[in-house]
Amino acid sequence: MKPKLLLAAGALGVASLIAVGGVSSASADTDYIAKYGIKADVPGMCSYSSIDAKDYTGHEITILTHAVPVMGEPAALHSKQFAELTGGTVNVVHAPFGELYQKVMIPFQTGQHVYDVVYGGSYWIGDWAPHLAPVPQKYLDLAEMKDATAAYQGVASWRGERLQYTVDGDRHYFKYVRPPFEDAENQAKFKAQYGRDLEVPTTWEEYAEVATFFNGWDWDGDGELEYGSTEIVQRDNIAFSNFITRVAAYAKNPNVTGGFWFDLDTMTPQVNNPGFVKGLEMWMAALEYMPPGGINFGIAEEIFSWGGGQSLMSVTWDDAFIQAMQEDSPIRNKILVGTKYGASMGSNKVWNRVTNKWDEFETPSVAPYVAWGWGAGVSKYSQEQEMAFDWFCFFSNYANTNHDLLIGRFGVNPFRTSHMDPAYWEKEAGWNNDVAVSYTNMLKSMDTSTNRVFDLRVPGVNQYYTAMMASVSKAMAGEMSAQAALDEVAAEWSRITERIGVDVVREAYKNVVALEDNVPLSAVK
Amino acid sequence: MRGARVNLYSGLKYGALIIWAVFVVAPFLWALSTSFKSDNGVTGGATYIPFLEYEPSLEGWAALFRDTSSGGISMQGPYLASLIVSIVSSGIALTLGTLAAYGLSRFTFRAGPLRNSDITFFFISQRIMPPAILAIPYFLLLQFTGLLDTHVGLILVYVAMLLPIVVWVMVDFFNTVPTELDEAAMIDGCNPIQAFYRIILPNCAPGLVVAGLLCIIFSWSEFFFALTLSFAKVQMLPPTIVILNSNKVPWWSLSASALVSVVPLVIVAFFLERYLSRGNLAGIIRE
Amino acid sequence: MIDSRYKHIFLFPALLVLVAIIIFPLIYTVRLSFSGWDINRPGLDSVGWANYARALVDGGFWNSMGTLYQMVFFCVLFEYTLGFGLALLLWKQVKAGRFFRLLFIIPMCVTPVVMAVVWKTIFHETLGPLNDILNWFGIAGVPWLSEATPAFISIVLVDVWQWTSLMFILLLAGLMSLPKEPYEAAQIDGAGPIRTFVHVTFPLMAPITIGALVIRLIESSKLMETIYAMTSAGPGSATETTSYLLYIRSLREFQIGYTASLSMIYLVILIIALALFAKLLSRALIGRSEART
Repeated sequence: MKPKLLLAAGALGVASLIAVGGVSSASADTDYIAKYGIKADVPGMCSYSSIDAKDYTGHEITILTHAVPVMGEPAALHSKQFAELTGGTVNVVHAPFGELYQKVMIPFQTGQHVYDVVYGGSYWIGDWAPHLAPVPQKYLDLAEMKDATAAYQGVASWRGERLQYTVDGDRHYFKYVRPPFEDAENQAKFKAQYGRDLEVPTTWEEYAEVATFFNGWDWDGDGELEYGSTEIVQRDNIAFSNFITRVAAYAKNPNVTGGFWFDLDTMTPQVNNPGFVKGLEMWMAALEYMPPGGINFGIAEEIFSWGGGQSLMSVTWDDAFIQAMQEDSPIRNKILVGTKYGASMGSNKVWNRVTNKWDEFETPSVAPYVAWGWGAGVSKYSQEQEMAFDWFCFFSNYANTNHDLLIGRFGVNPFRTSHMDPAYWEKEAGWNNDVAVSYTNMLKSMDTSTNRVFDLRVPGVNQYYTAMMASVSKAMAGEMSAQAALDEVAAEWSRITERIGVDVVREAYKNVVALEDNVPLSAVK
Repeated sequence: MRGARVNLYSGLKYGALIIWAVFVVAPFLWALSTSFKSDNGVTGGATYIPFLEYEPSLEGWAALFRDTSSGGISMQGPYLASLIVSIVSSGIALTLGTLAAYGLSRFTFRAGPLRNSDITFFFISQRIMPPAILAIPYFLLLQFTGLLDTHVGLILVYVAMLLPIVVWVMVDFFNTVPTELDEAAMIDGCNPIQAFYRIILPNCAPGLVVAGLLCIIFSWSEFFFALTLSFAKVQMLPPTIVILNSNKVPWWSLSASALVSVVPLVIVAFFLERYLSRGNLAGIIRE
Repeated sequence: MIDSRYKHIFLFPALLVLVAIIIFPLIYTVRLSFSGWDINRPGLDSVGWANYARALVDGGFWNSMGTLYQMVFFCVLFEYTLGFGLALLLWKQVKAGRFFRLLFIIPMCVTPVVMAVVWKTIFHETLGPLNDILNWFGIAGVPWLSEATPAFISIVLVDVWQWTSLMFILLLAGLMSLPKEPYEAAQIDGAGPIRTFVHVTFPLMAPITIGALVIRLIESSKLMETIYAMTSAGPGSATETTSYLLYIRSLREFQIGYTASLSMIYLVILIIALALFAKLLSRALIGRSEART
């Protein structure tokens, strides 16, 4: 009797243990979704459950990231989650964008180890390269990593090594409010005034006409005045990116290789060639059709302005678009992106710096700008590299990225092929089909374009850009002509190159030329 | 006739005072009103009166102490850090500076052709240095002594910044205290040190208070070194607020944090006014 | 003045701290100015006088000195005049005088950079209250931060808002410590308020005027935080002061060696200018015989 009872009790005990174990593992999985607000925990090395299984108690890492909310909030959020899951300590330090560079460089240069993970503009890679730890192969083999498009993998690499962990992908593209273009009355008036049909512009000249037409009156009936275009012009903010967008179509020639910023052979700066000058002149004239105070707009103003329906068009970052597609936006689902020829405005004439003539293009040539985006890496002086890379892995796992992409203010923008599927945006974000298709087509077009422009990712880039924008902003303020301003820039750039070392800059610039000319680094002589 | 003229003059006088008072208070009122706004109260144009022109919300205030992982500012750490650093550095500067000021006031010093007034001028002229010049050397100095990114390091830097102020205030204050007091004390057998803290110091309360309050103001409000010499462990208040100016500027939490950060200073102002109005600054600015 | 072996105990602690924390960095900066520490060449090498040679022809640097001079001039002028005016108004018994005094002292006590950020929202061209209020009076909105002159004005305005209170309190304290006799004499002479001011008050206040002006000049020459928060030296370089320029060159661009040489030049110029100014003002206001060193 007793042994049987014992056996039965034992069996019951074991059975209940199994049952409880089974129940708890099932609820642990659902816990992530309920607890952390993600849609699904995609299995993999970096999934919630995998990270949960790791134990970093007693370990500590320090992350330097941007201010809340752009990149700062998701970094803080995922740090908190990571700490909870692994028991480790994650300190998050925030800095304004203008301070990020030196907060990272000073410790790097003086050998002081302060941060394990650093965030910044990915275009600083030239300066940061000697101090970052290459991403270990096991992370490069991850599905999430391989899913990143070639362009963004390239942007994260330096001299063939992957130094930045891909967490974001940025771009500049054309976006516009649709209904005014389709309004019959507008079409009639436009035709009367300009002698051609009102169409979505494909060149900067057309852009100027359309923007001027729609500038300074209330075309959406909300009782407020609207304007033609919102751009980022404020010096010391990230206006340099808008400058690049403006000059790209005129200065990046699909038939010319060997350097957009410099002639790789002679390292002569190209910033004052007629292509650049024309772009700047068009930008100076554009102030006429920007909202009041437009010359002082930083990215915050641009996001609120275009995202709030204050202007018809904009050629800048993703953020304003995502903002405009949020639930409470007045222009949600009334906007589209890209032109029929590409992601940005093109030009029928492009300067050829080799023949010193303008090349004519029947179909406008488009030169989309693969803007720098957030670059982040692990310091090679870190004592906790494994934990740091796991942190990255967790930050950009499928579940988290899919969550972050939908929140405009997070600043996380598409960089994976899987993000270029319109179904994701329709289903997860509630976008209309035409908007989703327009957006993903634009993403794909940028990915497949062979005439792209990249940042000047060389050591000392801040000096180059600061010099550039100091003079450009003077031209924008009307203090000097475009040619004079850019001549000033070219002269200063030559001096900077001298100071840093012509060979150092040339070697670095080869990495950029490889991206510009769509060839591997070894093919750049 | 005379009465009318006096009334006109009076009216103008109060008018001018009120205009300036409005100018002084305006930014605070604007910040107060804005701290209760949210998107709709800002993006449509300037609004002033809650409920009438915009729907008030507590978001600005709620964000102050919320963690950054949920989009807040997490102000309590930097607030405390600023409080401690200010008080400690002011205390140290006050001690060292008052000692030095007393010495400069009572004794003759000589270093070649340089005398007391030159040494005093030396102290005061340290204020000419723009912080931007000192950022890199301070960084290296603190790194060399292992004090980088520590509160102690920042306190050290602040003490150097505040000493000139203390010396400036206290030298002239001591100059107005008659030397008969300490002479009498020393005749009674005290050495100068005892004379100092037994007899003179108790009489200096007003000067000390003024110098101390000025120290608190300057160290609490210090921005540049707080920004450039802090990396991970040290987070001070002014940079934490200015950082909000970075990207999507949230006017409401910006205003709320600005108001909260200046509250202690307004209290300081109250005490400062009380002491200054006793005419205690009389000798201070005669250089 | 007494001579005593105790005197060193009083002076030396403070002097030591100052020497360690300011003199050493200063000497280091001098050494830096002869090096070419840059983004790619960290460390102290030696480039001789190259940095100084470059500094002499640096247009941006000298421009910023000019901008600084103009800003400081207007700021201190307005702060002094308004401060004096307010002090005179509150000098004698005034209803609610205590209240006004307390109110007027507040701006100088609050954190400059934080208030500058609040002011920035006030100056916002489309969303800020300033242009809104101007519109009520039928005045078109001013591009406060996007055009050179208005930007300059807005910086000066914020500085005046903040520091007039310092001048006010210094001058008020001075006024309150003035002796009564000259005023009694002036009253007997039948002098009106303006003549009393010109011939009695102002001359008596001379030492205080000099002290206040010198103090304010020293502090305002470091003008940088307001610009950092409001205009980032823009538009163009309309509001770029030397302090701000030094910050950008050293910490954003990392031209540490070169910026050190700029700093040295700046310091020398400023010390000479301030000393000269103090001396000249002394002579002018107090007179040759009474001029202090």
